[in-house]
Amino acid sequence: MAKLILRRLFGTLPVLLGVSFVVFVALQLVPGDVARTILGYNATEERVAALRAILGLDRPILVQYVTWLGNLARGDLGQSVALGVPVLTVILDKIGASLILMGASFALVLVFGLLLAALSGGHHRSPLDRMIVLLTLVFASVPPFWLGIVLLYLFGLQFRLFPISGMYDMANPGGLPDLLRHLVLPAVTTAVSSLAVVARVTRGRMIDVMNQPYIMTAKARGLSRPRIVYVEAVRNVLPTYVGISGLQIGYLFGSAIFSEIVFNWPGIGLQLYQAIIQRDFPVVQGAVLAIAAVFVFGNLIADLIAAALDPKRAT
Amino acid sequence: MTQSTTLTLRPARFGMLSAITSDKGAFFGLIVLGIFVFAAIFAPLIAPFGPNEADPMLRLGAPGTAGHWLGLDHQGRDILSRLIWGSRLTLATGIIPVAVGALIALPIGLLAAWYDRAGGWILRGMDVLFAFPMALLAIMVAAFLGSGVGNMMISLVIVLLPYNVRVVYQAAVEQKSLPYVEALRVVGTPVRTILFVELLPNVASAAIVYATTIVGSMVITAAGLSFLGLGVQPPGAEWGIMVAEGRSVIFIAPHVAAIPGLCLSLLVIACSLLGDGVRDALDPRIRASFGA
Repeated sequence: MAKLILRRLFGTLPVLLGVSFVVFVALQLVPGDVARTILGYNATEERVAALRAILGLDRPILVQYVTWLGNLARGDLGQSVALGVPVLTVILDKIGASLILMGASFALVLVFGLLLAALSGGHHRSPLDRMIVLLTLVFASVPPFWLGIVLLYLFGLQFRLFPISGMYDMANPGGLPDLLRHLVLPAVTTAVSSLAVVARVTRGRMIDVMNQPYIMTAKARGLSRPRIVYVEAVRNVLPTYVGISGLQIGYLFGSAIFSEIVFNWPGIGLQLYQAIIQRDFPVVQGAVLAIAAVFVFGNLIADLIAAALDPKRAT
Repeated sequence: MTQSTTLTLRPARFGMLSAITSDKGAFFGLIVLGIFVFAAIFAPLIAPFGPNEADPMLRLGAPGTAGHWLGLDHQGRDILSRLIWGSRLTLATGIIPVAVGALIALPIGLLAAWYDRAGGWILRGMDVLFAFPMALLAIMVAAFLGSGVGNMMISLVIVLLPYNVRVVYQAAVEQKSLPYVEALRVVGTPVRTILFVELLPNVASAAIVYATTIVGSMVITAAGLSFLGLGVQPPGAEWGIMVAEGRSVIFIAPHVAAIPGLCLSLLVIACSLLGDGVRDALDPRIRASFGA
């Protein structure tokens, strides 16, 4: 296992290098002069030239990349054009809120994904199964930015159950309970479609498992139905479940950007959105890089857990 | 199970059609998608108003306002009409990138499968793109290219590329090991004929099946980019931007955001039901493994 971890950890290095290259090169997609685009058409020629020098745009592209990568290795992601502070400061300032939101959403995905899969797949073709299949179809199809608005309207404005904006109460911030209350709607918004995908795929595996001989044996031995479904069968869908859950991390990041915007959650997604509006390209690059890096490591951990759970794969 | 096995033995076209009409979900998807496509094509004939025809007196009128079934938005534009006109851009921005992406991926995947060394590099390049969450990469590329429908579609094509190439690559590698390819090679058929005349049709079906299964998520992503202001620009009619515009009046007129989002969800449901149907009809093996 230790060897596997080391090998996989080493394997992420070229991927991270590639990621940094893509994020760097993407800036070349900006049509025309980047410095001019950032400052707008009213800026004087001197200011544009100055920004061009700060961003290093006056040097050859490969030199730019190597310099940028060197700075990156020292934790220097450049300066935010709009905020005037180092990009790293902006990212570190916001990433905590995003990780809290992601963690809560991922927990919802894990718990309800497996629960719905077991309830439906363990009782194939039952009315409950059909209901869950329909429910997950709808869940998987609802755009997160719209779901957020609907939840905000229903549970925030109509029933007034949850706050609709930010992480803490502005007037009266109240620690963990306050945070949790603010977390509910954004976390549900982020989780719903991934939760549905996990439930659907795991359910498919669950149905396969329920048809296997050892389940037949368990039935013949007179084990109780709940025991068979929720212990014997669930144990064998775990590798599939962990694998598909790991794949959802990326989708969660995508959905989280939208729920952060809708619920004004002060995370990296909201920051990314503001940076895009302000044409603050260094912050856009930094935010994308940070999210992609977390994503790569998240996948790595999910892979390792899946490998640990599946004796056939842990070679 | 036996039914789908016999279906694949018949010519694919007939098999597909009867498989979809006999699959309740896929049939529902087909009907819903059909309605939206019909609305998109005949928008000038069936929309009661133009997409930007406004009646400021009736601003934010609720559904049921005389002459405006689904109400009016913050500028006094008829929501039903904007939905109908908006179906054009909504469908186009969701479907065109998928089709273009599949077309571009075909030669890349085929070449990668045929030439091992180049293929290795291509796949490694794709691996790097896989390291980005799909929506994030789309947002970054669209943000750098600048907002607009064309740029948004380019960004979606780029984002889809690794997925499409992998599907084509896997199908092509499978084909490459079959005896008919060996026979073609032995008789000295030029590589480009093998790849683009003999292999292509067999690989294309995998690409098409994959394309149908991702149209739904592309519709969401495209609408999401427009929601962020990176795709369709105001005053353009598109369902994602309609939700964004409705968001600003959510406190007083929730229907403005609710209705276009509902249509969007319905469209995505239809796409995934139909996609599942197509996949089951063309590839019964997947059905067996997922038990859908």
